[in-house]
Amino acid sequence: MKNRLMIMGLLVLIISFTFGCSKSNDNEISSENDQNVVSETGAKDEQVVINFFHRWPNEPRKSFYQEKADEFMALNPNVKINIDAVLNDSYKEKIRVLVSNDDLPDIFTSWSDSFALNLVKSERIMPLDDILNADPDWKNSIIASQFSGFTFDDVTYGVPFTIDGKAFFYNKSVFAENNLKAPKTYSEFIEVLDALQAAGYETPIVEGLTNAWAISHYEGTILQRLLDPSVTEVDYNEATGTFTDPGYVRGLEIFKELTKYMGEVSTAIDHETARNMFAKGESPIVYMQFAEIKMVEDQTDMDFGFFNFPSIEGGKGDQNALTGAPEGWMLSKNAPQEAVEFLKFLTSKETAYAFTKADGQLNAIIGGVDAENTSPISMNAFNIVTEASATAPWFDNAVNINIADIFMRGGQSLATGELTPEEIMEEVQAEADRLRK
Amino acid sequence: MNKFNNKLASFLFLLPCLIFLSIFVFMPLFKNFYNSFFEYSVFSATKDFVGLDNFKLLLADKKIKIALLNNIRYAIISVFFQVGLGLVLAAVLEHHFLRKVAPFFRVTFFMPVMISISVIALLFGFIYNPQIGILNSFLELIGLDNLSRAWLGNSSTAIYAVIAMSQWQSIGYIMMLFIVAIQRISKELYEAAELDGAGKIKQFFYITVPQVKETLFINTLLTITGSMLVFNEPYILTNGGPGVSSMTLAVYMYQSGFFKDRMGYASTIAITIFIITAILAIIQIRISHTGKD
Repeated sequence: MKNRLMIMGLLVLIISFTFGCSKSNDNEISSENDQNVVSETGAKDEQVVINFFHRWPNEPRKSFYQEKADEFMALNPNVKINIDAVLNDSYKEKIRVLVSNDDLPDIFTSWSDSFALNLVKSERIMPLDDILNADPDWKNSIIASQFSGFTFDDVTYGVPFTIDGKAFFYNKSVFAENNLKAPKTYSEFIEVLDALQAAGYETPIVEGLTNAWAISHYEGTILQRLLDPSVTEVDYNEATGTFTDPGYVRGLEIFKELTKYMGEVSTAIDHETARNMFAKGESPIVYMQFAEIKMVEDQTDMDFGFFNFPSIEGGKGDQNALTGAPEGWMLSKNAPQEAVEFLKFLTSKETAYAFTKADGQLNAIIGGVDAENTSPISMNAFNIVTEASATAPWFDNAVNINIADIFMRGGQSLATGELTPEEIMEEVQAEADRLRK
Repeated sequence: MNKFNNKLASFLFLLPCLIFLSIFVFMPLFKNFYNSFFEYSVFSATKDFVGLDNFKLLLADKKIKIALLNNIRYAIISVFFQVGLGLVLAAVLEHHFLRKVAPFFRVTFFMPVMISISVIALLFGFIYNPQIGILNSFLELIGLDNLSRAWLGNSSTAIYAVIAMSQWQSIGYIMMLFIVAIQRISKELYEAAELDGAGKIKQFFYITVPQVKETLFINTLLTITGSMLVFNEPYILTNGGPGVSSMTLAVYMYQSGFFKDRMGYASTIAITIFIITAILAIIQIRISHTGKD
């Protein structure tokens, strides 16, 4: 009797499991079919829903993309666009979660290089070559060099939209008061920082070190200046990296030296606070992206300029290279035809022109930036980006995320004095050994 | 036959619960245990079998030790403040001396429990802010300038700043549970003790504490296991930083899985957390002999 009861119980459990599982599979398949039907027939009457995911829940881009989505929906009454947005570091995490199951939004923003490559590896991203080649006018309206960060094994998976570079922004009037010039070399840079500190600026340079990416931008540029490109090429590839070059320790020492000028607050604030401190004139130097020019201009009428990261004496990398990479749009493999249309709409010359006018960030669409829709200082930045001798991708996108995490958290520990550069590099080397296997 | 029907009926009544438990609790648990023997990325569909490698890595991982230590700090401080102080607060508020104002204080102390943890974390972010934070301003006001610091940006204070916020938030909840327990204590016990000449403090230790023993045990269990699982507070306030100084096991697990893209290792950490909380719960249940009173 007991046995019979047990068998019965087990049977019920098994049946309920198989029933439950198979049912959910059916649902998935049928929803995919629905989407295919819609995209094949392009039915006018049927409502098409496009899920649009970007990383700017803050102004002005939040409103900008809301307006553009509304405009597109007005032009295409059968399309409904759902917008979702979360900020930078959270976006990186959330998109990873979404790409791991079939919930990937139809159209979403992506950084270039390893970040894009990781998404592409999921095999859930739509290859865009056919779509681009089918519409040469659209393809040729985008600055061709910016595609490289989204192209893997000669297949393009993303359309670049914003272009960017990172430079030290400095307060021109403070520099003039103290008879300082924009430094060309690292030792000159330290002299400038010392002089500013002597002049009463407690934090002559400031950064929000709670933002891990802000640290990686510093470290990436420093390492690019210091190391032979052939060394980083080997090390940044997770299959071959060893990170044994003494240049890495030197690079972290340089970062540690710079954090001494950032004061105790740096590890407790974010980058936005650091930018505000610069705009308010509290700190005369901050390392920022060209994308942030307008955010400073909107806050203050202070006269500011910028200089590229100074060359480091004895460095083996290209001393004039610019750190920065484009960001762009990707489509999910299952995205409907309407999402492709929306992508073209988002990267049209009109949208790009309005975008730079509203936001200030420069874009990769030919004719999307001119002296009319941007300030002279941004125009200057645009020329620097398009004419740079070489561009280095963001460090956290250039190396495996496990390596980047050690460098970024290590950067915080360097600033608080918890770890030494040697200890961090030991950790990096151990991680590189694990990844090589 | 009747007996069999009874058994069958009771089994059928249990069935829905069993099904839900297996699908939502036991299945994920076993799946997670299974996953901890693999290394895989959230991006890829394939898993690489690595045997016990993840467990070996875990034992050698310095960050795990830091995180575990932070969880233990969390547990000790939480038991002291939430359970200890919560019981004292409840006893004071239930005292007939404060009858009239007690409801006001009950609501006040309970208020933080009703606020979303994200909101609280943002608020405390402002309180701890090194430039505009009211904590530093207050310290300067009372002449303790040398104590003011970047609370969340300093590796020696970050975890304590996070823990302090949790105490403020959770003490009201534990206090409420104690109030309910204290209200069930018969008044005669106190009257008898008073006649025998026991003071308020003696009454607290000899009547209140033994009478709320069950609640005390449950609250301690909840607080300690909660401390082992704590995620929201450190994640929002510091994200485990600066460095890894305020990392907890749950934050480390989340970051290993979704930030560093090592799902297998994250599963291993999850199993570790499960084992720790299970052992703690078993020890506590053994010690207190719950249900036998």
